[in-house]
Amino acid sequence: MIQVISGIQNTSAALDAEQTRLDVISQNIANVNTTHGLDGKPYQRQVVVFESALQQAVNQDGSLQMSPVQVAKIEKDNKPALQIYDPGNPDADNNGMVSMPNINVDEEMADLISASRAYEANLAVAKNSHTMAMETLSMGKV
Amino acid sequence: MTPITALNPTTPSFLQGADLLRPESTPISTGGIQMPAELGQTAATPPSTDSFSSMLGQLVSEVNNQQAASTQAVSALQSGQSIPLHHAVIAMEEANVSFQLMVEVRNRLLDSYQEIMRMQV
Repeated sequence: MIQVISGIQNTSAALDAEQTRLDVISQNIANVNTTHGLDGKPYQRQVVVFESALQQAVNQDGSLQMSPVQVAKIEKDNKPALQIYDPGNPDADNNGMVSMPNINVDEEMADLISASRAYEANLAVAKNSHTMAMETLSMGKV
Repeated sequence: MTPITALNPTTPSFLQGADLLRPESTPISTGGIQMPAELGQTAATPPSTDSFSSMLGQLVSEVNNQQAASTQAVSALQSGQSIPLHHAVIAMEEANVSFQLMVEVRNRLLDSYQEIMRMQV
């Protein structure tokens, strides 16, 4: 396999990871009012954890060892559920309190901005690599 | 030998390429065309057969594979499979750049050939 665009594997892995993060954030925002999750409890906020992937093939020629990013795990945020008073809600307890998901929409929006900017940054890296490859190919032309 | 060696930077690109593709081969007997050691090493997996044409064939089939991969990625995306958008785009980029590389190799070869054909005898 010829590597015509240098570092594109790293960028691709990073885009994958940021995409997953964006997906999880959108899932959090979508479930901001879910009082009845799959296990019957309110939805819990999910957090993505990134890690450096080990490169499987060690480069024999001693060239730079790349460590692409990957999603290590998607963990539940264990902050306590928000309690609101809403006696009419079917999920309300005897005191009329409803456990709402531990999601703060403002926080999620800030995370969304950060994740989409990170995605954009990786796109810029990909674009730059592409430009560099094309410029290199046109080297020597008058 | 020295005058020829002095001409080294201007040797036609296809000759340099041919030497680069055979890192273990001894330099051509004129001694003029000798690649620097590190350039010889960077030549990836030496082709199974030693000829330049088979190497070129490998390059073309590699480019073809990348084109096929990009077509596959795009059609997978369009048929609704859950592959990320950027995978398809990166596959297209890679196919594009490797095709450009192939075209560039072809252009250089042809330029060298025409240069030789214009040579005074």
